[in-house]
Amino acid sequence: MNAKVNFNQNMVAEHVTDQPVLQIRGLKVNYGEKSILQGIDLELTPDQPLAVIGESGAGKTTLGLSILGLSRGQVSGEIAFKNRDILALPLNELQKLRGREIAMVFQSMANALNPVLKVKDQVAEAAQVHKSFLPKKNMAQWVEDVLVSVELDRDKWSAFPHQLSGGAKQRALIAIAMVNSPDLLILDEPTALQDPLTTATIIRLLKKSIQGRSAIIITHDLSVAAQLSHWTAVLYEGRVIEYGRSRELLQKPRHPYTRGLIRSFPDMMRGKDLQGIPGRSEWLQDGCSFQPRCTQSISICKDRQPILQGDKRHLIACHRGGVIPLLECRNISTSFGSTKVLQDVSCILAEGETLALIGESGSGKTTLARTIMGLVHEDGGEILLEGKTVGKRDKNFYNRVQMICQNPMESINPGMNVLQAVGEPLAIQKIGRSADRDDQVRKVLNAAELPNNKIFLQSYPHHMSGGEAQRVAIARALALEPRLLIADEPTSALDPSVQEKIIRYLLNLQEKKGLALLFISHDIALARKVSDRMAVIRNGRIVETGQTSKIITHPRHPYTRALLEIAAAGSMCSMRLKS
Amino acid sequence: MGKIKILLTYLTAFLLILTLCFILPKMMAGDPLMALYGDEALVVMTPQLQAELIERFALNKTLFEQFVAFWGALAHGDLGESYAYNAPVAEVIVKALPWTLLLVGSAFIISALFGILLGIESGSRRGGRLDRSLLTCLMLLNGFPDFVMGILLLLLFGVLLAIFPLAGAVTPYSGETGFSLVIDILHHLALPLGTFILVRIPGIYLLTRNSMVMQMEESYIMTARAKGCSECKVRYHHSARNSLLPVLTLIGTQMASIITGALFVERVFSYPGLGNLLYESLLNRDYPMIQGILLMMTLMVLVINLLVDLLYTRFDPRVAHA
Repeated sequence: MNAKVNFNQNMVAEHVTDQPVLQIRGLKVNYGEKSILQGIDLELTPDQPLAVIGESGAGKTTLGLSILGLSRGQVSGEIAFKNRDILALPLNELQKLRGREIAMVFQSMANALNPVLKVKDQVAEAAQVHKSFLPKKNMAQWVEDVLVSVELDRDKWSAFPHQLSGGAKQRALIAIAMVNSPDLLILDEPTALQDPLTTATIIRLLKKSIQGRSAIIITHDLSVAAQLSHWTAVLYEGRVIEYGRSRELLQKPRHPYTRGLIRSFPDMMRGKDLQGIPGRSEWLQDGCSFQPRCTQSISICKDRQPILQGDKRHLIACHRGGVIPLLECRNISTSFGSTKVLQDVSCILAEGETLALIGESGSGKTTLARTIMGLVHEDGGEILLEGKTVGKRDKNFYNRVQMICQNPMESINPGMNVLQAVGEPLAIQKIGRSADRDDQVRKVLNAAELPNNKIFLQSYPHHMSGGEAQRVAIARALALEPRLLIADEPTSALDPSVQEKIIRYLLNLQEKKGLALLFISHDIALARKVSDRMAVIRNGRIVETGQTSKIITHPRHPYTRALLEIAAAGSMCSMRLKS
Repeated sequence: MGKIKILLTYLTAFLLILTLCFILPKMMAGDPLMALYGDEALVVMTPQLQAELIERFALNKTLFEQFVAFWGALAHGDLGESYAYNAPVAEVIVKALPWTLLLVGSAFIISALFGILLGIESGSRRGGRLDRSLLTCLMLLNGFPDFVMGILLLLLFGVLLAIFPLAGAVTPYSGETGFSLVIDILHHLALPLGTFILVRIPGIYLLTRNSMVMQMEESYIMTARAKGCSECKVRYHHSARNSLLPVLTLIGTQMASIITGALFVERVFSYPGLGNLLYESLLNRDYPMIQGILLMMTLMVLVINLLVDLLYTRFDPRVAHA
């Protein structure tokens, strides 16, 4: 045990300053015609590890290899490491640098270690290449110390790679990188393919390893980025599209791509289902590279590449400044006569997000919805849609904002049949010809799990059950493909199996088209599965607002806690079987 | 454990081959006595002479008795008497063996060495000028049968340019000794050796190159480069170590074909080795001689293959522990 080396004493990089160790300017890498990195600017300061995240193929590994001068493409730009341009160094100078000053921990894939050499010898080689002057005995001791420090079992030192587990191989790879105590450590997917327990121990080891030196962590595992890095850069098609403090960036991503990455990452604490990013990487030359997959793109996004800008702590490359707030309510107050129904209600709903409005009956939920729709006049406050104050609701407003009312029987004109009722918004907006409208009606009816045959299209509300009428109301709201849907208890009249289908359809629309949902409900269990953020409203005031996962796990307001307890009591999982 | 298993496998193979060695010549068409005396046998052969010869070569006994006698003699290192040479087979073989060993051994070592070296250099510079020119040249050479190559070299260097002798292993009756004898031997060796090397190199080169090209793409190469290893070290210590595994197998199996190749090449150059001897013995239906030579060759192939197998376990730890 006394052989254990303390990283802080023996292996910390010698000079720790706040000066950037590494400055990457305008780095471009091409493989033949294909451009992998399209101009990267990054800075790295000691003791402030940087995570580089992004989908596979975004150029993460190429970035890491370029810093070692190991990228095989045509490289241009500048990589200044301690004031030396790595791209201009001759090969023999580069070889002196590699492993000694800049080391890379590779992913423990098949054959990351040479299959015919003993692990110990491979670690020793990394030292020998740079320290040939050391006597053999000291060298052996040196290597042993490193192997102990990466906690590789002693009986595996003389083993061959194929005899080791993935975790042990990863330790050996870390030892290879650490043996020369480099100033800059590049970790390439250090925990991919590992089981969670091994990942946890490797992360602990890596935390220790990167202490006191500069580090770049290349990963697609957001939790690894969160645990190891201070800064995070999001790479998309060879460009940095968002950069900021890891905690802030991963909790409140601003770029729609980053948000998509986080939504597709299975987070233990999140109730909402995984949502992906529509489409796939296309490597278009003009305009914003993310534009084809973006749900909020406008004409400029197609024409011009956005520049990475912002304050120093959070940079973003997006013409729209990141995910836009679609709906913003500022200090809304509404009263019926002398009864104050809403007092100072403020909330924000971003594009492609769900805000759940939770509260008991009479708390003012529906009034807020109606106020937004302009059905009730607010006494004070301001409502903004896509950043512009909403005054008189006109056709243009209703083209973008639609509502599903709580009581469908009341909201559907009893004198209209299904075809007329669902097609009415289209007719008002004068969209398409009559036949096109009918097609659209059939499409949304199908989406709302309703028949779209002639008999049903000709039926009237009083022919339908409550559930059917509700679905007709949903179909009507979706007919215009609005940007914002206010759903007031949209599924409370439906049985769970139909409810599930409709919720899934709404969330799919959200993923594919960026539909924003204001989801009004008293059902916390449902709201948890649907929403990104939650606002708890009581007696016309919002008492708590925040990320759904946080509110569910750490409710602060006693009212929220009470609601959660009641919801949990109804859980079938906690039910006890009576003997 | 693994090594004992390998040894046992080889022992079994050896015994089986010995049995075949005995059976195969007996199955050849024609009468050995006829072959021995050629067409004259019809004229010269008297019943007495025939009986004498049959007695002498135990041809009158049953096959089984011949078989038992064969094993018994083998145990004493007695390979029998040659009909044609009128001398103990072992003695004749021992005279021819060194020449074959010299030719085959040096051809083996040189072709392996150069094939591997060229393969490593070529494969690690895939697509470069050196790689492309080597690949073109050796692809052209690849597939030439040994005797064609031998005849070509013989015609070019022996007949047209006349810088190398046409036949034999030494200049007959020159009585040279010491250094000049060595030079004389090398002078005679040059063409048959050259034939072997030119024929053998392409196979080894192509496999080594191919193997190198694949290994250079493996991720451990990146690990080695990231350590700061020089290109030379990456090539030889890392990539070549792995690339040579299939090459080792190829060299082992090639050994067998080199020895059969010796039959043709030695014949072309009238080189007094086992190959030439075997050829003559076949013409004479000299059973004991054929058996002796086949035995010798079998032994050589088996020993080489055994060495390759044992080496393989040293070179590839995955096999050793499998």
